[in-house]
Amino acid sequence: MLLAVAAITVGSRVAALALLPPPRGAAAGFVRRLPAPLFAALATLSLTGSGGGVTDPAMLAALGCALLATRWSSLLITLGAGLAGFLVASLIW
Amino acid sequence: MTVAPTPAPRTGLIVAALPVAAAIGVFGLVYGAAARPIIGPELAVVSSLIVFSGAAQFTMVALLAAGATPVAVLGGVATLALRHLPLGAVLLPKLTADRRRRALVSWFLIDETTGLALTRDEPVERTLATSGGLAYAAWVLGTIGGVAGGSLASVEPLADALFPVLFVGLAALTTATRSDAGRALLAGGAGLVLLLAWPGAGALGVIAVAIAVAAVVPAP
Repeated sequence: MLLAVAAITVGSRVAALALLPPPRGAAAGFVRRLPAPLFAALATLSLTGSGGGVTDPAMLAALGCALLATRWSSLLITLGAGLAGFLVASLIW
Repeated sequence: MTVAPTPAPRTGLIVAALPVAAAIGVFGLVYGAAARPIIGPELAVVSSLIVFSGAAQFTMVALLAAGATPVAVLGGVATLALRHLPLGAVLLPKLTADRRRRALVSWFLIDETTGLALTRDEPVERTLATSGGLAYAAWVLGTIGGVAGGSLASVEPLADALFPVLFVGLAALTTATRSDAGRALLAGGAGLVLLLAWPGAGALGVIAVAIAVAAVVPAP
């Protein structure tokens, strides 16, 4: 069964990057619009799945600091600011 | 006399990928500890070596622990694997490698490396391979550590916080227009409502929300 799980996972990755054609026309426009809502949706998934959940003050502080830091357009600064916000809020609450 | 071209620096990419890999390593520890009593230490490590998908592996172990049949386990894993299709779709227009190389780097197609690949200046293939290689090493080493009884309880909350922060950052960095921002807010809000109302919707549910928002809401 483990081999079947690996085959499904690897097969879907290969299909996504090597077998399916690049999107064209209306599909290309859709794909251009997809990343921002996709990552926002994944953020909610990881937020609700985290230990503290959506009401954890430290997590909310992390997200607030990360959002403020996005003005520098650097993922590293965003990560650093978010984690710093989380640590500071954890110390306070 | 010709001057050899200077290799493009990978330091920035590695620095950006390291915190993500570290958090993945912590989750590898958790996976190793959780999988060991269910499928045994050897299979726990082998699963991380040949699957490299936290979502699929945690689902497999959780379903096996609940007494699910192999068909149910494979159905759950196959459903989760569908999310690779939109991830691949957003990267495909930026790939320049031939089909064989694309198949090779597809091993590293996970949520986090996709986000890094979309927001970095380096070629997508290089970003996938570098950040994915670090993530894979961290995931396997973390699993081995978890199987061996290791625990990093003190940093688990920090690792837990990293992924929401990462995805919020990626959503912001892939937002180029006001319309993008509106779509991100709508998808985030709708995804949150969906998960609070129906936690079982999981990854596929929120990705369906994102696809619906991108498909239905027209660009100006």
